[in-house]
Amino acid sequence: MTGLALFLIAMIAIFFGFPIAFTFAGVSVAVGIMVLGVDLFAFMPYRIMSTMQNTILMAVPLFIFMGIVLQKTDLAEDLLESMGKLFGGLKGGLAISTIIVGLFLAASTGVVGASVVAMGVISLPVMLKHKYDPKLATGIICAAGTLGQIVPPSIILIILGDVMGLPVGDLFTAALLPSFILVVAYLIYIIVIVNVRPNIAPPIKTEVDEPRLTMVLSSLKLIIPPLFLIVAVLGSIYTGLATPTESSALGGIGSLLLAIIYGKFKFKLLFDSALETVKVSSMVFAVLIGATAFSMVFSYSGGETIVEEFFISLPNAQWTFVLIAMLTIFILGFFIDFIEIAFIIVPILTPIALSLGLNMNWLAILIAMNLQTSFLTPPFGFSLFYLKGVAPPQIKTLDIYKGVLPFIAIQMLILGLLVCFPELFGLSRLN
Amino acid sequence: EMEKTYRWRLAETWPKDFPVFGYTVKSMAQRVKVMSNDRLVITIDSKNKHKAPLGIFDMVRAGQYQMGHSASYYWKGKDLNTMFFTTRPFGMTATEQYAWFYYGGGMELMQKTYQPYGLLSFPGGNTGNQMGGWFRKEINSVEDLKGLKMRIPGFAGEVISKLGASPVNIPAGELYTALERNTIDALEWVGPSLDLRMGFQKVAPFYYTGWHEPATELQFLINEKAFNTLPKDLQEILVIAMRASAYDMYAQSMHENAINLEKIHKEHPEIQIKTFPSNVMLKLQQANDELIEQFKKSDPLTKEIIESQEHYQGIARPWTRISDQTYLEISQ
Amino acid sequence: MKKLHTLLGKQLDYLGYLCAILMILMLFNVFYDVVMRYLFNNVSIAMQELEWHLFSAMFMFGIGYTLKEDGHVRVDVFYDTLSRKTQAIINTVGILITVFPFSLLIIYFGLTFANDAYLLGEKSPDPGGLRYFWIIKSVIPLSFFFVITAGIYRLMGEISVLIGSPLEAK
Ligand code: NA
Ligand code: NA
Repeated sequence: MTGLALFLIAMIAIFFGFPIAFTFAGVSVAVGIMVLGVDLFAFMPYRIMSTMQNTILMAVPLFIFMGIVLQKTDLAEDLLESMGKLFGGLKGGLAISTIIVGLFLAASTGVVGASVVAMGVISLPVMLKHKYDPKLATGIICAAGTLGQIVPPSIILIILGDVMGLPVGDLFTAALLPSFILVVAYLIYIIVIVNVRPNIAPPIKTEVDEPRLTMVLSSLKLIIPPLFLIVAVLGSIYTGLATPTESSALGGIGSLLLAIIYGKFKFKLLFDSALETVKVSSMVFAVLIGATAFSMVFSYSGGETIVEEFFISLPNAQWTFVLIAMLTIFILGFFIDFIEIAFIIVPILTPIALSLGLNMNWLAILIAMNLQTSFLTPPFGFSLFYLKGVAPPQIKTLDIYKGVLPFIAIQMLILGLLVCFPELFGLSRLN
Repeated sequence: EMEKTYRWRLAETWPKDFPVFGYTVKSMAQRVKVMSNDRLVITIDSKNKHKAPLGIFDMVRAGQYQMGHSASYYWKGKDLNTMFFTTRPFGMTATEQYAWFYYGGGMELMQKTYQPYGLLSFPGGNTGNQMGGWFRKEINSVEDLKGLKMRIPGFAGEVISKLGASPVNIPAGELYTALERNTIDALEWVGPSLDLRMGFQKVAPFYYTGWHEPATELQFLINEKAFNTLPKDLQEILVIAMRASAYDMYAQSMHENAINLEKIHKEHPEIQIKTFPSNVMLKLQQANDELIEQFKKSDPLTKEIIESQEHYQGIARPWTRISDQTYLEISQ
Repeated sequence: MKKLHTLLGKQLDYLGYLCAILMILMLFNVFYDVVMRYLFNNVSIAMQELEWHLFSAMFMFGIGYTLKEDGHVRVDVFYDTLSRKTQAIINTVGILITVFPFSLLIIYFGLTFANDAYLLGEKSPDPGGLRYFWIIKSVIPLSFFFVITAGIYRLMGEISVLIGSPLEAK
């Protein structure tokens, strides 16, 4: 009961417009003290400490730093505009470029806070400059930035592997085709929508008399260096030079090197980029700290037990089990952090699924895809908060809320296909 | 008074439903509940709830939880002496160590170590001999250890670093990728019981036998004040339940290791199980002995603990050799 | 009043600059560790631990600075349609009932947390790791002390809007 009250109060409270991090924290303090007493908050230093010691999260400031340097030196703009031009008269070229860059980032980190914010910094200003519809632009960034959840390496797959007792390597392999299909679906959607409503994504104008070859060459000159940087970051993971987290530092250093090569480096650039990174990262981590207070009150007041009991009462037939489980995870994803869901629900689902003879890799991918959606669902989707945090003031929360709707729909469509036709994704339903 | 219900909370280092370790805690709580006729009820909070896997010592000490389940050597950074009540390189086997705890003065020394913190510590289940780890390359000489990047935390890392290896800190979630991509050359985890679920067998062909954790004993921690509020019979029920579940975990570890080793043989025949060459073992043992000698100088209690262990291992080992080792050699 | 406001703002700016330096140090720290490990097989546990010390101090101290800069994300669906005065009411109430109580709780329990580490002389359990864990644990109460400072700074600004003589030109 307390859990429900907590959600309702928080849901209303965030619409007053006071910073989300502190709203979560304040609601948790009020409800926590009333229901469980003030001593509950003696747990908070431990929870904060575990965020501080979670070195995987170092990717957040490091990637954001890379994004900010690329943006401040105009290298990001050059990259995206040139990529857009390469697609020629194709409408939505910029949007397609954003998805591709997002895919690269997704393949080098599993931390959504890192990729959404980096994408927001890199490509939102460019799309807005070229008169993209803010809803489309923000929707694309949230969706592309959240790809890191399903594209390996992925935190959620690591957690699911741990909770379900599956080798992480198998899950990474199983996730490849589904993530590829998801990206293709995004691209198809963009191509269709910009042709139906051309004014929401105008093509980048090229000089009329510029020969195609000259244009391609000059574009490539602008594309290759930053793209090389991103590929080098990925390469450093694949060659074992660095862990995924460390690769983000290589990205940061690489972006500074590019700035030096292009003669755009100044110490002021370094310092200003760092200061802006501090602001944005602290915004992200404040939300995480507020959310951990929230989930603390939720679980210590028995919310966890209620969710558990519901899942234990699920029907024991393959189809209904999968459908109801997916539906519930989707609905819970509106409110609860994906890590909480993975830890509360998945341990209950696992033995049931095993007894029903379901293929566990398939189930894990389903859950991961489903939880990825939870980053996008209003009002509590973290990707939406993070993007809002770095977007220029003319972008409203409502734009972002509306902008992600089509992408949520696409994810649900893919999820549905994954449930009904796992063979399309190289998976099987039964063990 | 006799009918009063005591509700205790226990925080464990492990995630929810963690195999073997988590089962040990659950079975202990269940035994206590039944034996006490519901007068002592212990609810378990896993790492997913309290988010402080390495905060068990502090939280039980502060009374936020009456009880915890963890491993004593995690508190090495707070008090060096806690390190000796889990296991140590070239130390006793599980059977020898249980004998030391219960009949060789180990329990008394453990309480002496924890007493200043208002804590009571009890054996919390044994993993049995842990494996030496998964290696991407073969170790044929001490030379091969030079510059070897290995995830091996704590004291064992210190020992192996004396031979020129480089212990590396990598978060658990990135271990698989780090090993697969050669960011590290080797890592140690537990043993067949818990290693296969991490998938290391897919990326490292050499699985080395153990030397650094011959008998990892987990730990039940209890807040002394809370313990003293319990009536005598509940105290005894709790102590008996912990002891039964701890020993039960040793049996379960044996079982899980056995069936998972069989699985390695059957499903991953390419995995080569190896032992470090004897000159490498000798160098490791020398490095270990040097470090242990240094520890003896640090504090009188440290010296007392180490000497008690050395003494006990000295009298227990000849019997292990004559009984189990001889038997294993003569029976096929 | 105006003097105090400016003074607090200055201090918080310095806090932000400190965080920016921590950020740069962290970037080069990680880079250094990767290079040393890859090229020279040289791993320093202390340097590896320093990474997360710099990282966490950066974002923890940064929370206060970001509050001063009004950089914490809001859901502005209704907020943006309100008059500046109504916004000031929301911000005043928000600071009083969320920022202050939460921060005070963290400071109170965080001091015990850090003090325990100090009394035990807690250090890293890993070979060659960092000592003096109380320093990094003190970051928790200290950073929320900065959050309160930033809260006071913002509160002064919002109240000045309410009484009709804004301290900050907007
Ligand atoms: Na990823
Ligand atoms: Na181990």
